[in-house]
Amino acid sequence: MMDTVRSGMARAGGWESLAAQRDARRARTNALLMGAFGAVGLATVLLVLALVAIITYHGAPTLSWEFLTQPPREGMSAGGVGPMIFGSVLLMLGAFLMATPLGVFGGVCLAEYGERSRLMRLMHASVAALAGTPPIVYGLFGLAIFVLKFHFGVSLLAGWCTLTLFCVPSIVLITESALKTVPAALTDGGLALGLSRWQTLWRIALPYALPGILTGVILSLGRAVGEATPVLFTASVYYSTAETTLSWETLRQPVANLPYYLAEGYRQPGVVPERLIWGACLTLILLTLLLNAGAILVRYRMRRRYL
Amino acid sequence: MMATMAIPQQKTAIETIDLSVAYNGKPALRGVSLAFPENAVTALIGPSGCGKSTLLRALNRMNDRIPNAEMTGRVLLKGRDIYDRRINLTRLRREVGMVFQKPNPFPMSIFENVALGPRLHYGLRGRALQEVVEDALRKAALWDEVKDELSKSGLALSGGQQQRLCIARMLAVQPQILLMDEPCSALDPISTQKIEELITELGKQYTVIVVTHNLQQAARISHYTGFLMYGEVVEWGETRQLFERPARAETEDYIHGRFG
Ligand SMILES: Nc1ncnc2c1ncn2[C@@H]1O[C@H](COP(=O)(O)OP(=O)(O)OP(=O)(O)O)[C@@H](O)[C@H]1O
Ligand SMILES: [Mg+2]
Repeated sequence: MMDTVRSGMARAGGWESLAAQRDARRARTNALLMGAFGAVGLATVLLVLALVAIITYHGAPTLSWEFLTQPPREGMSAGGVGPMIFGSVLLMLGAFLMATPLGVFGGVCLAEYGERSRLMRLMHASVAALAGTPPIVYGLFGLAIFVLKFHFGVSLLAGWCTLTLFCVPSIVLITESALKTVPAALTDGGLALGLSRWQTLWRIALPYALPGILTGVILSLGRAVGEATPVLFTASVYYSTAETTLSWETLRQPVANLPYYLAEGYRQPGVVPERLIWGACLTLILLTLLLNAGAILVRYRMRRRYL
Repeated sequence: MMATMAIPQQKTAIETIDLSVAYNGKPALRGVSLAFPENAVTALIGPSGCGKSTLLRALNRMNDRIPNAEMTGRVLLKGRDIYDRRINLTRLRREVGMVFQKPNPFPMSIFENVALGPRLHYGLRGRALQEVVEDALRKAALWDEVKDELSKSGLALSGGQQQRLCIARMLAVQPQILLMDEPCSALDPISTQKIEELITELGKQYTVIVVTHNLQQAARISHYTGFLMYGEVVEWGETRQLFERPARAETEDYIHGRFG
């Protein structure tokens, strides 16, 4: 055995020359693959930047304090998108308050009981499917259940409920995966101290996973705020002349919002001037960028504290 | 089955009776009957995979966490079977503390790491809590090093300090029995020496059971030693005697490096 190895080496001229051939090939493959990944990555980034650049180019001239705060005037042909921003933020805040506890609770359930129980595995698969369901389906579901069946009407309340449904699956999944990143050593440490499973979860695992969960929640809201279809039939109004104020009445009234404004404004050419559409488009992008920046900040702040 | 191996004239803190554990049907412990003497340091030695950790985890039911582990036999703490259904798991683990091979401080401040247990178990707060934390950190020989930065993250400490923090965290819940699974294996010689001194000190007040691969360490710090092989106790007795005049050939081979 040893002899054949030795003679093989002698033929090839020793270990070094054997390695030299492979080293060269490895270096080539490495350069090729890294180059390919780099090129594709760059293309993606450029694509996104181009998109933002085009919208900024067209939208920036429209942006002004007045545009962001004033209601539309002269039959939508002038003025700003103040009520739409207000409505979008309002929809999002409600969805945040309702979807976060539900989603986190669901994620905790899946992470804690997921492996052993067949029911939970089924739940996981269903939630994953729901997270991939097109938003229009949520919109129609919301229309059937909240608007019609529960008699909420086309209203802020129905919009909140629909957006909540839309956000919950992704929050569940994010929470579950964030909890699964908690090292077993930490959980064991808690249990070995005599903490109950609940205490270990609440005091140790959740705080550890919190930055990840919050980031996921914010990203999910960012997606929701830009979607027109969940609120299309459930909460939206193109524009109402009613004052945008907050009261119990607001709950039962439809709200204007940015994505719906964009969709309708674009569908009816000639009514809303193009520059206003571009402006609203840019505003929506800025809103989501703001949310994403918030997510990064939250994560950074929390990570820095004790990790 | 073999009679429980006990040290004569020593009060027993915790004892196993014909304890067997299998993972996926593969036995890891076979009929272990050991009585661990009170207020002394007991070392468990033996080749890798012989079941030391399994035995240790059986003593505070951390094996419950492993889905495929099956156990038969009994573990008696103060005469009560800890695997009895009516046993309170929280109370058991409060009485039988555990330190792991790799230090695992919680991602919170040094103070919080130690305070968490007493706060949740005994509802301590304010001055009383501070005293318990200070006391535990002193016993773990860490107080002088961290007293000015108690609000710093536990993760910002060195490995050896982290392990002492974990020991303090355990002491703060007022256990009677301390289980340590290779507490020094991730540490440098100086930290190791500190922990060894600490274990010797703790052995005066607590029942300490230490798993170690370091035979010199076992000889240095323990009063009693159990030698395990293939899930069975090969020899068990006073450390000095086991190392100097082993009764069994396997023990002699192992401590002279002729095995594993
Ligand atoms: N979670 C587990 N699942 C399946 N088998 C396991 C598990 N834990 C331990 N075993 C097996 O049980 C046996 C005893 O393991 P144990 O960890 O108790 O050994 P040990 O004496 O602590 O070894 P070491 O000195 O390497 O830590 C080994 O054969 C191991 O492979
Ligand atoms: Mg082990």
